[in-house]
Amino acid sequence: MDKNVIPVGPYHPLLEEAEYFTLVVDGETVVDIDLEIGWMHRGHEFISESKTFTQSIYLVERICGICSTSHPIACVHAIEDIDNIEIPLRAKYIRTLIGELERIHSHLLWLGLAGHFIGYDTLWMWAWKYREPVLQMFEIISGNRNHYGMMRVGGVTKDVDPEKVKSLLDIMDEIEKKIEMIAKAANDDPVLKSRLKGVGVLTKKDAIDFCAVGPTARASGVPIDVRKDEPNDAYGLVDFKIIVTENGDVFDKTVVRLLETFESIKICKQCLEKLKTVNGGILNNVKEISPGEGIGRYEAPRGEVFHYVRTDGTNRPVRHKVRAPSYVNIPTFKASCKGISVADALITLAAVDPCYCCTERSLKIRDKNNEPYQLDLLKLSREKTEQLRRQMK
Amino acid sequence: MHNYNEFISLMGNKILSKIEKQKRLYFEVSNENIIEVADYLFNKLGCRLSTATATDTYRGIEVLYHFSHDKTGDYYCPRVVMKDKNNPKMNSITPIVRGAEWIEREMSEMLGITFEGHPRPEPLLTLNHPQNIKVPLRKWRSNG
Repeated sequence: MDKNVIPVGPYHPLLEEAEYFTLVVDGETVVDIDLEIGWMHRGHEFISESKTFTQSIYLVERICGICSTSHPIACVHAIEDIDNIEIPLRAKYIRTLIGELERIHSHLLWLGLAGHFIGYDTLWMWAWKYREPVLQMFEIISGNRNHYGMMRVGGVTKDVDPEKVKSLLDIMDEIEKKIEMIAKAANDDPVLKSRLKGVGVLTKKDAIDFCAVGPTARASGVPIDVRKDEPNDAYGLVDFKIIVTENGDVFDKTVVRLLETFESIKICKQCLEKLKTVNGGILNNVKEISPGEGIGRYEAPRGEVFHYVRTDGTNRPVRHKVRAPSYVNIPTFKASCKGISVADALITLAAVDPCYCCTERSLKIRDKNNEPYQLDLLKLSREKTEQLRRQMK
Repeated sequence: MHNYNEFISLMGNKILSKIEKQKRLYFEVSNENIIEVADYLFNKLGCRLSTATATDTYRGIEVLYHFSHDKTGDYYCPRVVMKDKNNPKMNSITPIVRGAEWIEREMSEMLGITFEGHPRPEPLLTLNHPQNIKVPLRKWRSNG
């Protein structure tokens, strides 16, 4: 059979950041994939060189709309690394609380979208419905549902009102019950298992070779997590475990994210309990940053966010390098997409949780008559689930 | 503080200069030795390449790789300085570390560095850009 090329993107529902994938297919099977990025390059590194350190934090907060606090945390860690700046204990708990709340809402967002892609719209609606209280918690703490503006070199900008801690803990309890319900429903469904197990496998060797991070690496048996490897903020003071599975398929990536959500809830509760008793300031006054270089990183929902800052003694960076987790996770498609069917391509591409966005379209460039026609990956994916469901009845 | 002494003594005079901080080791190596150093860090020590940073400095164009040793949380950062700003060239580590492919392509287009031995030396971010973008991260547009 003739090999065909299916371009996906640069604007596609899978991708919040616009990227361009070229799937080379032989019949129904994907034999190769090529990637092209740069459609959303906004020159943050260049812009940051003209901003003060405090302004840079607000700038990097706008790199991503979903993990919008991971970049500021990594950025302040990098600046604090230059002079080994310590932050108050209360600020450590607040930073960790904000970071983990973000992980919960990001994982729920991914779970909903994954459900939608394979034709489980109930899962999508549940996950997004129960993500809403997390955003309300952000609003209670910071005044914003997104872009919280909480991070500052030397601590955090806003304190958590002690009177609100109890209501925040109550919301946390409610969310936990609902996510338990979702996890049980997903775990009990045979169609979901047969749809996701063995699909888009990323082997441990490939995960190490591509330097993958986050749930993408942990689902392939690579036990890396910045929260344990370099426990900044309050991560060394709270009890939690990192979730590692061995199979590397889409099902394992789902399991890792779901179980991580429970761990995040556990961390949030510990932080909130501590905020009842730990008093003191939330911000150390940092007057200047010495010339030097610093590395800061944070375990974002998608994996390690990396920031490198070089300074010359002025109030702005000479060089500010930013590396988001998708930058190292997306190239793993080269390994995980080969040999899968076209109907599984959508969920495999989504499984590393690249950021999502609007319209959906894909175009098969040429058929036998060398004429273009539309091919809907989403429809194909949902039809495959429906087919499995009918077979299992 | 982590003890980097074993690594430093093993590398010997390959390390031209170093800055040792808590959990961070920044060290300079020559272009001839970068592949050997990267091979040791990635394959022997089990480090993961986080990313690399290219900077236009007064000494020349500098490339700083960030290898994370996840078991201890330490960073090993080998640095290569290319003094010829008009034609900066260095060896690619992508044949050793596959995860370096994208970042070396990005550094190449952002600062005009040629990575010799790179399997796919084409722009990453500006491949189909409508404007003719050249080395935007160079300071003072030193390439003219």
